[in-house]
Amino acid sequence: MIRCRELAELLTSDRLRDASLRVRVEARLHLWMCRHCARLARQMEQLRAAARKLADSFGPRETDAPGEGLEERLVLKLSKKV
Amino acid sequence: MPEDRQPDALTLARLRARDPQFLAALVQEHARPLYRAARGMGFRDDEAEDLVQDVLAIFLETLDRFEGRSRIRTWLFGIFHRKVFERRRESHREERHDPIDDVFESRFDTSGKWARPPADLHQILESKEIGLVIEECLNGLPASQREVFVLREMEGADTEEICKILDISVTNMSVLLHRARARLRECIESKGWGRK
Repeated sequence: MIRCRELAELLTSDRLRDASLRVRVEARLHLWMCRHCARLARQMEQLRAAARKLADSFGPRETDAPGEGLEERLVLKLSKKV
Repeated sequence: MPEDRQPDALTLARLRARDPQFLAALVQEHARPLYRAARGMGFRDDEAEDLVQDVLAIFLETLDRFEGRSRIRTWLFGIFHRKVFERRRESHREERHDPIDDVFESRFDTSGKWARPPADLHQILESKEIGLVIEECLNGLPASQREVFVLREMEGADTEEICKILDISVTNMSVLLHRARARLRECIESKGWGRK
């Protein structure tokens, strides 16, 4: 049976989905029985969701007027270069 | 990352001819993900915009060498990767031993069971402040780990694409992601919001 340490590394490195069927079945059973590993699995999902939200927050600047944002500035600058 | 196809011959020809319509489409599709990744790597908004401009300019300058076998996004992020490390003057090389490995190992006993189980971080991970906490904790990551985290977790790139962009093996990428996520988890837990 898979141990907590091995499963924790599979969870943090996001390699569980690429593991063999045997490992994935053992992992599923382990996660069902071990609340600490289940917590770590949940935290990795929450961390990913929070990171996606953070990336989305790097949106257009509030000072950008409509039609004068990042993309428009870049097209203008690149057009001058080429 | 949204699904991206290999460019067809017409697209490449129009880009090589610097067709303004295709140039605008290129910027429209790829500027924002590159900008987000630059911000994720810790560049300020003006620095990030400058970096994206640099990446796109180099792409256009080296377009004759682009044979269209890879996706434009992969090629662009490859240039992005080189420019980030050039600007940061940091080494790409990942150390064989990282102190986070010891911290990770210390959480388990010799039989592989939890000795120090993970604290409950639900409150902080679901809070409005988590973005700021992650941004702060990202600053404590070595650049190579941070880049893998940004590409995988913030931009949603898959393993194959990250390995192509960074020119690393799958094993190496897994180690970098493991260290990045373990380090971020430890950093968040150290903020004291967790309850044992």
